[in-house]
Amino acid sequence: MDIFLSAIFSGTSRGAIYALAALGLVLVWRGAGVVNFAQMGQAMFSTYIASTLIAHNYSYWIAFIVALISGGALGALVDLAVMRPLGRKRSSSFLDSPAMRSTVPVIASLGILGVLQAAAGIIWAAEERGFPTPVNSLGLVIGGKSMPFTAFDLFVMGIVFLTLAATTYFFKGTGMGLAMRASALNPEVARLSGIRIGFVRTLSWTISGVASSLAGLLVTPSANLSPNTLDLILIIGFTAAVVGGLDSLLGSVIGGFALGLLISFVNVYDAPEDIFLAILIVLLTVLIIRPQGILGSKGVRRV
Amino acid sequence: MSKESSYGRKNLLISIVFAALIFFLSIKLDPYNQGQLAVALMMFIGILSIVLLTGASGQISLGQGALMAVGGFAAALSILNLGFSIWFAIIAAVLAALVAGLLLGIAAARLSGPYLAGTTLVIALAIPSLATRFDSVFAGDVGLNIDFGNPPGWLTSLMGEVGYEQWQLLATLPFAALALFFTANILSSRTGRSWRALRDHEIAASLAGVKISETKIFVFVISSGFAGLAGVLYGLRGIVGPSVYPISLSLMLLTGAVLGGIRSIIGALIGAILVVFLPDLIEWLMGFLSPSEQVANYLPAMISSLLLILTVVLNPGGIAAGLHHKKRRH
Repeated sequence: MDIFLSAIFSGTSRGAIYALAALGLVLVWRGAGVVNFAQMGQAMFSTYIASTLIAHNYSYWIAFIVALISGGALGALVDLAVMRPLGRKRSSSFLDSPAMRSTVPVIASLGILGVLQAAAGIIWAAEERGFPTPVNSLGLVIGGKSMPFTAFDLFVMGIVFLTLAATTYFFKGTGMGLAMRASALNPEVARLSGIRIGFVRTLSWTISGVASSLAGLLVTPSANLSPNTLDLILIIGFTAAVVGGLDSLLGSVIGGFALGLLISFVNVYDAPEDIFLAILIVLLTVLIIRPQGILGSKGVRRV
Repeated sequence: MSKESSYGRKNLLISIVFAALIFFLSIKLDPYNQGQLAVALMMFIGILSIVLLTGASGQISLGQGALMAVGGFAAALSILNLGFSIWFAIIAAVLAALVAGLLLGIAAARLSGPYLAGTTLVIALAIPSLATRFDSVFAGDVGLNIDFGNPPGWLTSLMGEVGYEQWQLLATLPFAALALFFTANILSSRTGRSWRALRDHEIAASLAGVKISETKIFVFVISSGFAGLAGVLYGLRGIVGPSVYPISLSLMLLTGAVLGGIRSIIGALIGAILVVFLPDLIEWLMGFLSPSEQVANYLPAMISSLLLILTVVLNPGGIAAGLHHKKRRH
């Protein structure tokens, strides 16, 4: 029973981080129609920046804020330097079919991932480093009994729900959020209605950059930081986003927690080597049985 | 009909010239570069699988490395457990990869774009992890040892001393030429045209009588056969194990395909040579600058990733498109 409970708690706290990664993917998918495979590379980069600041005796919170800002800046840079010029080429003969239009940004984002990982290797020597937590990461003691979750777990979950609330409010409750939804749904009509599509796209890349750098900051205390550590989070985040329905914020968070629990149970009751296989089975099952995910938009949808 | 058979004759001629050129090049090279050229030919076969899949039919796969692993493991198991010769093992490997491609294709025919990319990426990670999961069969991280063996007697009596690297190259060459011939024929045939129709406009293609799902699955099967062939040859260099077919191998194939030109056979050859020899070239250039170790370690990855981004943004047709463009202007 204790094992079961601790699997639930560790799954929930890991799930919160996967939810953030999935949220980041959904933000860019909704805002710009691209699945960003470089996302966790950006997160890795901004976490290295935070780690360097901490190594130079700055406080955790200054490093935290700087990492979020640099994560957002990196997201904006990716859009301005690569994705926007790529979007302008849509009339070229190479990009004139829908199949290639959705494929080529994926290839570009893989290139960005490679550049970020190589740059981190060159700058930070690819040494594995630990990363601190802002609050105690020992088991909480309530009523004299040690609990299977920590203050840090609560901190992580608080941040995830805060992010979900903020992004949902932004999309549903603000004019800019409405503009973002409109420009993702139908760029031409949105442009004719006076929405600055380019700006809106860059904004969604920026917000996604902030969300994924959050995921990076929160996951690295339990996994050493190296240029490749966060690749696994990308895979899990992608699966979580697909499970939730690639265009639903709440769905991606649910997907994140579901994946967290699944992976935790595979870890505890089976073997860690089976994680990839479990992810693959979940991904294929969802894509075949319910391609629109748990909360994805209804209607005919070709994935 | 007559038009297609004249294409076939032209393609046969090109493949023979290709094989002859590589053969004469192999005599001039030192053993290290013979080995590298052999790897480049294996990558050429692997990149052709992407030219067929992504270039011709518009489906993306980040999991070609996993299909290479399927080929490698099928060959290693049939050599070590069933006592196959390497030639029969290569056939077994291609058959195994065709079956894997059929399964993959059935799942993938429903997917497109980023969904397909993500799913194949997960497959690229999941398949090699099976080797550590069932390590009594697949030998886990240690890997299974297979190799090209010694050059046959008739070859040494014909050519004199044949080094191991040269034998790797000469054993790979006929398969590369065969893959070239086969790809060229598919692309210039009715089949290739139906694949391109699928890529350019699914609805129009289906109205013109192309069966969408069947064709997509068929493309996956053929492409997997190529990947499996590349995989067994790659494994025959000495070892078959999860570390031989990492996710970076899949990304390297994609990079080579895009840099050379994802819709072109010549592009596949250029791309293969680029990804194999670029690190050597950078190392040689670095010799003049003597940079720190970490820069030297990561610079090749940095440069090839930058080239990938630049190609996609500035010249999506790759180097081969540049060549064709110049030709058209004349």
